[in-house]
Amino acid sequence: MKAEITMPALSGTMQTGRITRWNKAVGEAIKKGEAVAEVETDKAILDVEAFADGVLAGPLAELNTDIPVRQVIGYIVDTSEATKTDAGGAARTAATTAPHADGLQASPYARALARDLELDLSQIRPGPGGIIHAAQVLASALAPEDADLRHGPPYTIERPSMLRAAVARNMSATLDTPTFLISSRFATVSLHAAAKQAGLSLTLALTRACALTVAEDPWFNHIWTRQGLARRSRVDVGIAVDTGDGLITPVLRDAAGRPLKELMEDWRILLGKVKKGRIYPEDYQGASFYLSNLGVFPEIERFNAIVPVGASAILAVAAAGGDGRADFTLSCDHRVIFGADAARFLQRLGKRLEDLSWLASGEGGR
Amino acid sequence: MAEMMYWQGILRAHDEEMARDPLVFAMGEDIGVAGGTYKATSGLFAKYGEQRVVDTPISENSYTGIGVGAAMIGARPIVEIMSVNFAWLAMDQLMNNAAKIHYMSGGRIRCPFVMRVPGGTAHQLGAQHSARMEKVFMGISGLRVVTPATPRDAYGLLKSAVRCDDPVVIIEHESMYNLKGEIPDTEFFTPLEGVEVMRPGKDVSIFAYNISVHWALEAAQQLAQEHGIDAEVIDLRALKPMDRAGIAASVHKTHRAIIVEEDEAPVGVGSEVIAIINEECFFDLDAAPVRVHALDVPIPYNRRLEKAAIPNAGDVVAAVRKMLGR
Repeated sequence: MKAEITMPALSGTMQTGRITRWNKAVGEAIKKGEAVAEVETDKAILDVEAFADGVLAGPLAELNTDIPVRQVIGYIVDTSEATKTDAGGAARTAATTAPHADGLQASPYARALARDLELDLSQIRPGPGGIIHAAQVLASALAPEDADLRHGPPYTIERPSMLRAAVARNMSATLDTPTFLISSRFATVSLHAAAKQAGLSLTLALTRACALTVAEDPWFNHIWTRQGLARRSRVDVGIAVDTGDGLITPVLRDAAGRPLKELMEDWRILLGKVKKGRIYPEDYQGASFYLSNLGVFPEIERFNAIVPVGASAILAVAAAGGDGRADFTLSCDHRVIFGADAARFLQRLGKRLEDLSWLASGEGGR
Repeated sequence: MAEMMYWQGILRAHDEEMARDPLVFAMGEDIGVAGGTYKATSGLFAKYGEQRVVDTPISENSYTGIGVGAAMIGARPIVEIMSVNFAWLAMDQLMNNAAKIHYMSGGRIRCPFVMRVPGGTAHQLGAQHSARMEKVFMGISGLRVVTPATPRDAYGLLKSAVRCDDPVVIIEHESMYNLKGEIPDTEFFTPLEGVEVMRPGKDVSIFAYNISVHWALEAAQQLAQEHGIDAEVIDLRALKPMDRAGIAASVHKTHRAIIVEEDEAPVGVGSEVIAIINEECFFDLDAAPVRVHALDVPIPYNRRLEKAAIPNAGDVVAAVRKMLGR
């Protein structure tokens, strides 16, 4: 038996992955469930697990190249079989679109489109299999133009990490969201003290306060979609975390309904995963409300955040000033939330930061 | 609109044309007293008599020659070859006389000859009874070749073929005679040229004919339900002449083409369609066209091997997914 190992699709948005390491060499025995390779996705480094016992066989996919999901990256064979496999699959794929004189692989339709749209094919990032199809040409045509760097200082082009590329893509996708900002200043000293007493970080206490406030106003748990308003039945809060090389937003599920103890435990696990770069799409996707806390930077008086696609609002919390009050700036999707809704939201949140009984009880908010 | 089987459509077309025109007659092995291997001429012997429903000996070239000769002097024969495999024996009459006489006579002699051939791989009939010979017929200048995929077209194409002044080969399928479908109650004619869009779609064009239309439709349904792919299914129907504009129109819309044929790939319907796409739509192509086809072997008798040699809807789904990368 010879079975294909393919590039796993680890999230709905993942189109390609890069193998950063092969843990096994060709000819080495592998066990079912064992990690045979490490893959860098748009958010993290993940393992590719063997789905059967056997021996790793080649040809293995190259390291650090973008490989489309579901493309074969290697093989598992029975011990009885030879481990060298011919590169027939790869050769066949390559033969379907012969390289052009310019050395690029592009479909005739993609070439014709690029010519009509006056786009330089060599500037277009290829799609699956390293081939430029119409989809990539159209995406390039619709993308904003790159900055013209020719007249500035000399430069070299570096490939962004998958994480940076994903953040860039996600942030650009928010340009269609009409947003407005609304701010308040609230004292955070007592919240700080109470959180400390309860063994919580300020971020987690703020998350809970936000989740409870969202639960009181269902509009903050609605999402605008082309099909209509998606009303969610649970409050999941995404929390911006600085990884040192970009941003990730682990999500606390049902942050209003579950006991604080559970949230604390979840948060500890999520931070551990972020630290190790082993965070999975189900850990960081699908929040309906986001929190970004820059309170650890005392120099920052105020900032605002971008509402991610799929959320109604994001709250930006700055450091407390000399008066013990911190700036709370809420960015809202105006298709879902109106100014008065946002004002009432901050009003209720402010009250919650004064009367901290919800924090003492620690139980679910519903 | 009545639901009828494929064979009933063929029978109805015979009956209507024979009732209308005394020069229409049927001829073939076991078509008279026995009513035809697939019942497609049942009851005609009793109704029209032995002069117009002629049982022949097992001698394909001879009775095809009688039919071609009769057509040359004004009759309108419908000759059935019991299985397309035996059409090889009738090739001389078909190729050298039926197809060429109109040209060789300087346009003075027409040959309104119809040959019906049940073809395809049925169920464990062995290599010599499983031929798909469309590639042979469609390579002969002077012939028309059509393939009904539905009872409606089994009726409508025979009606058109009988009225046509050119020789027409109708390739039926041994596995489809009991296929059911709607046939309008009023008389109608399926054109002998042109494709038909069986299912409109935008992501990929699946070209099929005869039985492979049904594999393509099944695949398209699965692609829509399970993979969110909107496939267009085109029944080529007329293999000669082929509808270049109809093929190009679909590829112009979807930019991708898959051709599904029950036959092995070399020198076949698929290669012809791809040649047309290449000539008509090169700059429309967003992927290299792909053929889904039978293995290049004489069809095995063993049931599992026979199934393995012939493509199915799953093969079409796999080819489309590979092409679209999802």
